[in-house]
Amino acid sequence: MKAEQPRHIGARIQRFEDIRLLSGLARYIDDIRLPDMLHATFVRADIAHARIVGVDSSALGDLGYATWMFTGEDTAGLSMKAHQDYPEMQYSEQPLLAEGRVRFVGEPVAVVLAEDAYRAEDAAEHVLVEYDPLPVVGTMQQARDPALPPLFDGWTGNVIVQRQMKGGDLEAARAQAAHVVKRTYRTQRQAGVPMECRGVVAHYNPGDRVLTVWSSTQMPHLVRTYISEELNLPESRIRVVAPDVGGGFGVKGQVYGDEVLVAWLAMKTGRPVKWIEDRREHLIASIHARDHEHTLEAYVAADGRVLGLKADITVDNGAYSTYPFTSAGEPGMVGKVLPGPYDLKAYEATFRAVATNKCPIGTYRGVARPSAVFSQERLMDDIAVELGMDPIELRLKNVVRQFPYKNVLGFTYDEGSYAQSLEQMQTLLAKDIAAAEASRGSDTTRIGVGLACFIEQTAHGTPDFTRRRVPIETGYIAARVDMSPDGEATVDLGLQNHGQGLETTMAQVAADALGIRPENVYVRHGDTLTTPYSVGTWGSRGGPLGGGAVHVAATRLADKLRAIAAHLLQAKPDQIELADGVASVRGNPGNRIEIRKLARAALRNVDRLPDGMTPGLEAHASVDGPRDGTYSNAVHAAVVEIDVQTGKMKLLRFVVVEDCGTILNPLVVDGQVRGGVVQGIGSAMFEHFIYDAECQPLTTNFADYLMPLAPEIPDIEVHHIETPTPLTPLGAKGLGEGGAIGPAAAIANAVASALQVGVESTPLNANALWALSRHIRERAEA
Amino acid sequence: MTEITLTVNGIDKTVDAEPRRLLADMLRQEFGLSGVHIGCAHGACGCCTVHLDGTPRLSCLTFAVQCDGATITTVEAMGGALAEHPLQLAFRSEHGLQCGYCTPGFIMTLAPFVDDMVAQRRMPDDGEIREAMSGNICRCTGYHGIVAAVRKAIGAGLGKDA
Repeated sequence: MKAEQPRHIGARIQRFEDIRLLSGLARYIDDIRLPDMLHATFVRADIAHARIVGVDSSALGDLGYATWMFTGEDTAGLSMKAHQDYPEMQYSEQPLLAEGRVRFVGEPVAVVLAEDAYRAEDAAEHVLVEYDPLPVVGTMQQARDPALPPLFDGWTGNVIVQRQMKGGDLEAARAQAAHVVKRTYRTQRQAGVPMECRGVVAHYNPGDRVLTVWSSTQMPHLVRTYISEELNLPESRIRVVAPDVGGGFGVKGQVYGDEVLVAWLAMKTGRPVKWIEDRREHLIASIHARDHEHTLEAYVAADGRVLGLKADITVDNGAYSTYPFTSAGEPGMVGKVLPGPYDLKAYEATFRAVATNKCPIGTYRGVARPSAVFSQERLMDDIAVELGMDPIELRLKNVVRQFPYKNVLGFTYDEGSYAQSLEQMQTLLAKDIAAAEASRGSDTTRIGVGLACFIEQTAHGTPDFTRRRVPIETGYIAARVDMSPDGEATVDLGLQNHGQGLETTMAQVAADALGIRPENVYVRHGDTLTTPYSVGTWGSRGGPLGGGAVHVAATRLADKLRAIAAHLLQAKPDQIELADGVASVRGNPGNRIEIRKLARAALRNVDRLPDGMTPGLEAHASVDGPRDGTYSNAVHAAVVEIDVQTGKMKLLRFVVVEDCGTILNPLVVDGQVRGGVVQGIGSAMFEHFIYDAECQPLTTNFADYLMPLAPEIPDIEVHHIETPTPLTPLGAKGLGEGGAIGPAAAIANAVASALQVGVESTPLNANALWALSRHIRERAEA
Repeated sequence: MTEITLTVNGIDKTVDAEPRRLLADMLRQEFGLSGVHIGCAHGACGCCTVHLDGTPRLSCLTFAVQCDGATITTVEAMGGALAEHPLQLAFRSEHGLQCGYCTPGFIMTLAPFVDDMVAQRRMPDDGEIREAMSGNICRCTGYHGIVAAVRKAIGAGLGKDA
């Protein structure tokens, strides 16, 4: 039966979870404390590539307090295996503790435990590791140099995987083209940096043979499955709990070796074990992101129609493949998404991941798309310059306008607002474009306007993962909704909430279906003991799939409430309306009963139920994503002011026009967009994880790894277009990542327009801008 | 070990402290104040901000033994379990937080700024508000909601006294 008319969905409701987060009563991973707990500290590799000659822990005996130490010899055979089923792919495993060889600075070599965290850290400093250095593979070029030895025994070279995807007739496009525009674009290596570092606590109870693992993770069920498989324990006896999680952004959407290791340590020592990552560890050894180089060649007709695109994509993957998205995930995503919002008839991409002696690349907000959109949208502006066209007009000439649209690779786009959002942005920017043009003659201060037009495949369904043969395997989200005899509802949700407001938005969804208020819905998540199996919160699937699952389950529960009400009110179920805590007969509102009385009938006064109806009030639903996902779209625009003499850039405006389908809660949606945009501004202007030629990390604290601070950021203007998708139960599309996807491209285009130069790489910090504006200073001096 | 006495959220307590023990760890472990969060442990993110004798201080860069005899306030004492301090209420209505990890630090940094502006009877411009939080990093919100919350809290303070 159809749900009642939405009442709470779409409302700007303040978040329920805020009260414990604001009061200091939230419980994050470091707040988990157990009696007799041991604290773990890692001894990590301090050179990038070496054989381990020996580990000397003899000094531990003289410390005067109890310590435990383990190395790769103790954990031999236990590892992180992240294999994608591509026959030509070179597989690697990362041992939980290094076995014989280290491959990046920060790789765990040994773990030391003590009864106090300070002492564990002291003790770790007394463990001496002797290394025999090996040649370092430090760049994409070195990784493709056959003269350098492979990182892994049995490998032939350091190209992990190289594949192609193509569609249409590229030769014909090339032959018809009036212009060929070829450019190479680069996006720098970054770290993801949630404000709470990661951490794990584990406890094994031999009495009931239950292993409990608390982890600051976005995917508790996947952590459970991996631990079960690696430690050979029944999954039914493992409970994984994600407590309050202080930001994730994809960094915590991986399964890490330390999650398995801390569980193993708790079983090995018979004591609860806690490991809390510090900021240096997080920056050098959790995961990194981006680090792409794309060479694009566009075949363009005289009128600006892009006829074909050829792409060569390389990602510097670092040393190991991460679980569950693997080292092929990042470059493969670029190949998949580069056609973007444009009606492209011919396309060919070659993508490869290469191995270097750096921290592994994993998923970080946007996953490859910030880099892909940077290249795609820089290319569009470079084409516009080449053809002397207005960049917005060029895009309007090329965007998809008929939906559903099957793209050149066979992916089907559901309906979006690509042209409309561009036109709206054109209006919003009119004054800025005029100001930018007026500044063109200036030798001191230039204003630039740049935009990025993009789509984002969100809430991908199982077929998308099957096609990629990636270990995540599926993408569904499940929810269980039940009502207690007092009429209060509980949602047990397979998503994990780490800032997205799910405890509020999911209550809004359930409340609409059940005819009660969101305040009367308790949303629980993050604990595998109480929540149904799901893949967790990542890939912009919370709203569309989590919300969808809650809606379907709550609607099933509501159907039962309607059946009970119909029996008690002597009406038909389809005549029953549920609203404001009351079931009433449509057209006869005086004939009514409170929903809490229906709940009591279902659970306690079961003699009042219709004949044959079983007692109980609970429903389960899982919702998988559509085959090709559902496509959100947006246009981002940046207006910048550049001091040509110093390279200092000020962001004057940042404007977003976005379409994520049905909006569940505008407060939350605006917050997700703005937060994502500012992370994208970090990618564009500040954040850069730097290694030297020996792959020593140089940006290991917040003084060296720069993130956006409040004074550098303008208010982010957000405008919405709502095109609900028919592909998810509520019409919602994913929106958590989109904010981070456009800013690098928009800001780079603004810089290019301000300085009238090509911009080929990020970050656009003061050094880069000073170099890019040299021609203006030289002209002024001449 | 050194014996020190701290007045934390109005309660006096004498504890033994290793000289190297951080104030943040002392507050978290000996006083059970889990609202004190450590984001970087090198004084660059502001998550661990508390009030030491009425002034915002980074508890990850302060040794507990430096604070003997001091009065310390943490986020737990600002608005109680229901987070009813005017700045906390404004953070909630203006969506000034998402994951909440940096939030106690922002509240402790900005509450004195709000009080100061109300005492001066003026509404600062956005640039001033952003500068007041330049020692705190928020990774989720993009600062937009935090700026709005500070404005709202100052506005409420000015309106109430008017």
